[in-house]
Amino acid sequence: MSVEPFPDRPRVDAHEKVRGAAIYAADVALPGLLHAMLVPATIAKGRVTAVPVEAALQVPGVVRVLTATDFPPPVQPAGAGGPPPPPPMITPEIAYRGQPFAIVLAETLEAAIEGAEAIRPDYAPDLAFTPLIDSPGHRREPVEPITAGDAADAMTRAVTRHSAEYVSPAQHHNPIEMLSTTAFWADGVLTVHEGTQSTSGTKGAVGRNLRLEPDQLVVKSPQIGGGFGQKGTPQRQSAIVAHAAMLTGRPVKLVLPRGQIFHNASFRPRSRHRIEIGADATGKMIAVRYDADHQQSRSGQFPPAEYLEAAPQMYGFTDYHGTAANVRIDTQSPGYMRAPHPHPSCFAFESAVDELALMLEQDPVAFRLRHEATIDPIHNRPHSSNHLHSCLREGARRFGWDRRTAAPGSMTLPDGTLVGWGVASGAYPVHIHPNIATLTVRADGTTRFAAAAHEMGQGIRSTIEQVLVRELDIDPTRLELAIGDTSAAAQHTTAGSWGTGSVVPAALEAASRMKAALAELLGDRQVGGNLHRQLARVKRPSLSVEVTRIPYGQGQKELATFQQGGMALAGPFFPAFTTFSFIAHFVEVHVEPRTRRVRVPRVVSVADCGRVVSPRTAASQVRGGVTWAISAALREVTEVDPRYGGWLNNDLADYVVAVNADIGEIDVSFIDEPDPVVNALGVKGLGEVAMVGCAAAVANGIHHATGRRLREMPFRIETLL
Amino acid sequence: MRAFSYARPETPAAAIEAFVAAGSGARYIAGGTTLYDLMKLRVEQPTHLIDVTAIRGLDEIATDGDMLRFGALAPMSAVAADRTLQRDYPVLVEALSKAASQQLRNMATVGGNLLQRTRCLYFRNGAGSASTANVYPCNKREPGAGCAAQDGIDRGQAVLGQSAACNAVSPGDWPVALVAMDAQLELLGPEGARTIPVAELYRPPGDTPHLEFTLQPAEIVTGIAVPATRAGRHSTYHKIRDRESYAFALASAAVALELDGDIVRRAHVALGGVATQPWRAAAAEQALLGQRVTPDIANAAGRAALQGARAGHHNGFKIELGARTVADAILIAAARNPA
Ligand SMILES: Cc1cc2nc3c(=O)[nH]c(=O)nc-3n(C[C@H](O)[C@H](O)[C@H](O)COP(=O)(O)OP(=O)(O)OC[C@H]3O[C@@H](n4cnc5c(N)ncnc54)[C@H](O)[C@@H]3O)c2cc1C
Repeated sequence: MSVEPFPDRPRVDAHEKVRGAAIYAADVALPGLLHAMLVPATIAKGRVTAVPVEAALQVPGVVRVLTATDFPPPVQPAGAGGPPPPPPMITPEIAYRGQPFAIVLAETLEAAIEGAEAIRPDYAPDLAFTPLIDSPGHRREPVEPITAGDAADAMTRAVTRHSAEYVSPAQHHNPIEMLSTTAFWADGVLTVHEGTQSTSGTKGAVGRNLRLEPDQLVVKSPQIGGGFGQKGTPQRQSAIVAHAAMLTGRPVKLVLPRGQIFHNASFRPRSRHRIEIGADATGKMIAVRYDADHQQSRSGQFPPAEYLEAAPQMYGFTDYHGTAANVRIDTQSPGYMRAPHPHPSCFAFESAVDELALMLEQDPVAFRLRHEATIDPIHNRPHSSNHLHSCLREGARRFGWDRRTAAPGSMTLPDGTLVGWGVASGAYPVHIHPNIATLTVRADGTTRFAAAAHEMGQGIRSTIEQVLVRELDIDPTRLELAIGDTSAAAQHTTAGSWGTGSVVPAALEAASRMKAALAELLGDRQVGGNLHRQLARVKRPSLSVEVTRIPYGQGQKELATFQQGGMALAGPFFPAFTTFSFIAHFVEVHVEPRTRRVRVPRVVSVADCGRVVSPRTAASQVRGGVTWAISAALREVTEVDPRYGGWLNNDLADYVVAVNADIGEIDVSFIDEPDPVVNALGVKGLGEVAMVGCAAAVANGIHHATGRRLREMPFRIETLL
Repeated sequence: MRAFSYARPETPAAAIEAFVAAGSGARYIAGGTTLYDLMKLRVEQPTHLIDVTAIRGLDEIATDGDMLRFGALAPMSAVAADRTLQRDYPVLVEALSKAASQQLRNMATVGGNLLQRTRCLYFRNGAGSASTANVYPCNKREPGAGCAAQDGIDRGQAVLGQSAACNAVSPGDWPVALVAMDAQLELLGPEGARTIPVAELYRPPGDTPHLEFTLQPAEIVTGIAVPATRAGRHSTYHKIRDRESYAFALASAAVALELDGDIVRRAHVALGGVATQPWRAAAAEQALLGQRVTPDIANAAGRAALQGARAGHHNGFKIELGARTVADAILIAAARNPA
């Protein structure tokens, strides 16, 4: 198999995007379109008892108002082991402020907005709502622990111990592309255009809610203007809009305003991490106890146990005890946001490791290098590849770590600015999903590749093109990549960094089958030119091949699940090995002497993501991850006023994300060693791990600069005054 | 539809006439960067918009006489780009160039800037964000409704000048610099022209936080005048915020020093981000008079500037931050243009 390093190539959609020509889901123009606006509840919990719609219907242009009675009853949860129910549509029970209780349909967007604002329902509010994880009424629900060896016993042998609690705040994704759904019903088929990382998930959720058969539904998500997990799970509005389109017989489009996105979309829940690490007399970590919990809705599914996964894979702890819990309160359901579990957990754990290294008077890089994980201690299997130590060594070299003086506050600039150098590592699980791809090369010069994948800007189209163009002599300018479309190929949720590793092996195999098919077609004829010319010469309009890739450890059962619209993820714990991606971040922070402003002029990040398929988009993923980590560490938090529930700073002016002026130089490099077994190209995954650990490197840098240990993000200016 | 009329008169007299004719629902509009935003948030619901941008002669910038003059309609970006100001009055240039974004500064006028409204989260979460419509009471939006910010997430709220009815911060940067520099405001109204100190444009919140400005009905801002002073050469506008660009101040300080050798003969100090109106810090100015600028003196002046500050629940840090921001600004200003 071909696993040579790949050359740098421009991003395939760069020109389209820079010119504003790229088409997103909400751009689709349909004749006879109705515009929709949701009407959100302004109570934190309770019931809507009456929805007078007359005032809305009197607004010129308003066509119809749909309320709970217009919708089919919610899908009941399947029994244990079954899939979670799809998000409910419109119900009179209000679980959180901002939950929609009606949708207004109108000839213009302005009329829809005005109609929505005209609706004043009657409420029966439940004033005993639980807004925060420590408010009365929260319910703590522990899940299964994760254990290796006997941490309690090993802890008794520890000579040095560190224990502390670390906190990661509630945060919201704010991709520039808003959540939207456009749907129309024609000839017995419902077509949905939506910015989603999971056309299959949208299809499933809409189908189940509206009781449609799979062949009655097509979902298309051609291009996503930022997903980051917000668009990875079924969105609440999809089935509501689809149902409105079916009832009215007209296309319906809804674009959620940002304030409603804050209140309805998934978000990163507040999480708390209590970590205890014990080291023996030689200064080696021998025992770890880790207890994590997070904010959860009353019925949410986002699991807490994954916080416990990364640390043992980085250090190979043989005595480890991890416990985790949901803390159920009255909020919308939290969910996946870039590096969902490893970002908060590696912030916590890598801060704790730094604290312990300091207690032991060891250099934090050298201390990490003394702990090498060669096996997955939880499952007692080898890692298929683990270059974390190479990342640390290479990062230290590029950063100039050997010039660091250890004592906090010992490095300063002439104006008194305190300089801090921090390091931290990260790990992210590698998953692979089945894929069924078709490749067609045509004599007319065009090529079409259809498979399961979604382009959220991460560059998946560039990786597919990279492989096809290297393997086949085809015209890259006329290559169509049909992805994010349930009518083109079976789709999965493209998330968790499994997109590339699940599609490029299929592209590679399709290319080699294409070569074989062509060789068979040509027989012993000698025909020149590229593939298109060759087909034309032998008067063959087109040649197609189909490939089915099933990840290691899976079989027909998982393939069938995928074909029926379900998810069938393999990894990171494969039958004979475990696979994680790794990264090391080195961060320089400057803390101003008087006002204590924190700046981050320089970051060096070295990633082990297996083979790098598209160097340009890969580097850009790491820069994006590092930028977000700095933003998460220093800036971002969504605030709840507990007297009212909901989210207070629910717009881009007041939810503070980093701007260009906050970000300095980011030096990105890769180990670029293919994983020997996880898939044919040795691709592990990158988009998520890029961010992991970097927030801890910022915290560790701040400690090195100031001697102050910050354990709760974000570190806003008041924390250092 | 919330219908409103729109007029674009070409003279100040015609604008005033249109305003008087339209009555209480009338608003002037210049760059629109505040007013349209507040209309979308349903905080402002004017019935008549009188666009003043077609009036000629109100965008002139004159920086050569005893008085620096800025026409009310001059864009923020144009004033910030003035060469003389850049050299001789960094305090004015920085107050403009550290505000908003380049795109906004191209639209926004230096007159409209003085009349922007608070960024208090509870004030802005009016009916325009449907999920929060009518949830948070605000005396500024709805007189007598109560103030959700007092016992709420008050991290951004004022520590100086607040009343029981309101602790919202006066958000602008430019007004802080103007107040520090003794600027005058030129107004024209149905009764004729008048001039007031910029500092007198702002009303303390008291029991009537919805009344923010001392403008009379239909009065139009025509210009801003700043007395020329060599203190401008030793000046700065220092702005500390939650990110390094595109954010309002958590604490800011406008400082200009008239130096005789290294002795302060006259000091201008005003604070932003911490008070309910642009806050002249006379005690800080006093602390600097006759002194040689040292870090200790700067720190003492910074502490004096925050005299009388009162913390709420989450904004106590602003007292310390404000003092340090003033101290930093004094040191930066003193180091500018060494003789
Ligand atoms: C996203 C964002 C970020 C911002 N960040 C900052 C910041 O960091 N710092 C800062 O200082 N500002 C900031 N601003 C505010 C910005 O500076 C003001 O919106 C702008 O200066 C207002 O000028 P304008 O001409 O657009 O006013 P308009 O919106 O046209 O008018 C504002 C008010 O002034 C009145 N008015 C306007 N002109 C006259 C006149 N000639 N006579 C009488 N009344 C008049 C209007 O009736 C209205 O009430 C920000 C604004 C936005 C939207």
